Amino acid sequence: MPSHISTTDVVYADYQASKPVDARVVEAMLPYFTRIYGNAASLHALGDEATAALESARLRIAAAFGAQPSEIIFTSGATEANNLGIIGYMQRNRRKGNHVVITEAEHISILNIAKYLEKNGFRVTRCPIDLYGRVSPKKLRARITDDTILVSVGWASSEIGTIQPVQEIAEMLTGTGIALHTDAVAAEGLVPIDMSTTPVSLMSLSSNDIYGPRGLGALYVRKGTQIAPVLMGGGQEHGLRSGTEDVAAIAGMAAAADIMTAEMSAETTRIRAIRDRLVERVLAEIPDVHLNGAPATEPGRRLPNNAHFRFAGVEGEAMVLSLRDKGVAAATGSACSSKTLEPSHTLISCGLLHEEAHGSLEFTFGRFSKSEEVDRIMAVLPGVIARLRALSPLYEAAAPA
Amino acid sequence: MKSTQYTEKTLDHFRNPRNVGTLEGPNVAVGRVGNPVCGDMMDIYIRVTDEDRIEDIKFQTFGCGSAVATSSMITELVKGMTLDEALHVTRADVADALEGLPPIKMHCSNLAADALHEAVKNWREHVSPEDASKKRVDKSCHARPAAVVEVEISNLDEYKGKGVYTRLDDLSEVADQRVVVLDTGDRSAQLAIDLTEHTGRVVLMTTSKEPSVSSAVRSALRLSDVKLLSEAQPLELEGEGELERIRVHDLNEDEDYELTADALVVLEDES
Repeated sequence: MPSHISTTDVVYADYQASKPVDARVVEAMLPYFTRIYGNAASLHALGDEATAALESARLRIAAAFGAQPSEIIFTSGATEANNLGIIGYMQRNRRKGNHVVITEAEHISILNIAKYLEKNGFRVTRCPIDLYGRVSPKKLRARITDDTILVSVGWASSEIGTIQPVQEIAEMLTGTGIALHTDAVAAEGLVPIDMSTTPVSLMSLSSNDIYGPRGLGALYVRKGTQIAPVLMGGGQEHGLRSGTEDVAAIAGMAAAADIMTAEMSAETTRIRAIRDRLVERVLAEIPDVHLNGAPATEPGRRLPNNAHFRFAGVEGEAMVLSLRDKGVAAATGSACSSKTLEPSHTLISCGLLHEEAHGSLEFTFGRFSKSEEVDRIMAVLPGVIARLRALSPLYEAAAPA
Repeated sequence: MKSTQYTEKTLDHFRNPRNVGTLEGPNVAVGRVGNPVCGDMMDIYIRVTDEDRIEDIKFQTFGCGSAVATSSMITELVKGMTLDEALHVTRADVADALEGLPPIKMHCSNLAADALHEAVKNWREHVSPEDASKKRVDKSCHARPAAVVEVEISNLDEYKGKGVYTRLDDLSEVADQRVVVLDTGDRSAQLAIDLTEHTGRVVLMTTSKEPSVSSAVRSALRLSDVKLLSEAQPLELEGEGELERIRVHDLNEDEDYELTADALVVLEDES
């Protein structure tokens, strides 16, 4: 990157990948590094202090999502929560069946967990999505068999922002004995999530996605739902997740949850306005561009922070690199930028052709995004696209009428 | 190593590519390689003198940072060389000139060398740029001539009424669906254009390089939102009780893949 651009000047539009930890969260964590450092399992005064902090945090995080404290299990992040929720549930309930249904819009961690299950004697069915990335409850139900014991549907797509009909699916599965797991990482802090009104059995949460510290997450396990641990050890978290709890990080996640409860409504209104302005300007000012996923004008269908475009004739990594040079941080689902040279499975499952999936560019906004950042993006994006289109054998500007 | 851990030299060629453009006129040949499926496409144009020397060279590339950088670098390396000298430039030469490429990107340098070789080959075989545009060579296979390919979908009848249409009177029936229309002539192409009023996703599938339509319809197609999928042969339909996917044979790549679709229109009696 040219040396005159420091990262503090960068327009950061990749909140989906990582969020800054809120300064108020950092403040809440500090005492637990050098002052309240006991192990919650210890029987002395410092241990009791840690226990009190741990359980207070658990209560607040549970309350933020309509759950009971005993239903929250802390993990090292949402990926681990996905492992514990899905593999843990399948292994514990194997005698009832060996089939799990997931969707084609799931996060890569769930897709790879599914592959692991298939290699270990379980069966997996992947339910297709529509052109907006939404899974239909009807199509899901058509894939349920007598051997099905678990369904996993992400609350929303972290890639194209499509919100799934989790409430409808949860109600459809009620009384069937089939558990419902949901990866809520993309949706948390952006849409209301309430376990007391949505009958989900298992839910994966990430701390950083609500501006808490990285390296921490939680699995919600509804009372009555049985899972087996995937990590063995000293038996912490009711035997479901061994390892001494990171009280500092957990205290941070609790502070983040408190802030989320207080500020989510106003915050999402603000973020949505910024996102909508970018979408409006891009669609109006740059030719041959489309928005992937559900229309931004329908709040119930698309997350408020997500703007995912495809530009005809240009490739994603090239766009991200060019934007990097201009001080804008964005992301792409292009094959060239992935570890496997395969394009985003979600975009292909939406029905896009490969060359369309390669031309994708994703902007995601968050708590610290400002409206003028849209102007800064639009000051450079048209030029970036024009330059790459001039280089491209696939793009011919439409001849003037 | 991250896929974008590029050297400064590579970034320089990405930011300031040399010899971008096309060439026209006498003594020009073009080499076209790649395929949008794998994400890279390169065109290299050469103008050759009577003494078999590359007098001018231009490129156009669809692809990532290293795709642009390797094609830019190879044009810089071979400009002024004789054709035989140019044919000796390898992908290792290109990668070295860029002071290294991430391992996962080495295939890009291969593609640049292939595009150049293809241009030289087309020059020596007197293939004009117009004719070359009708055959794009992919690294992984040999291009097949676009002969008339019979379309025979093995289980078409199974999905009639469940996503397969032989006629479509009420276009709103497929609103918001991913519709594939098989190219059976002007009527099918016109239907595809009309369908764009009802759904954001209309694909016109043809086994040839271009749909078999009149020039008026061809122009209308180009201006419409219809996505053209050429050199694609539908083989089989898939789906749980209704159409969900079409198994397609890519005639250019000689590979099969699955195309997500909710509706397939195969019009009967194209007059």
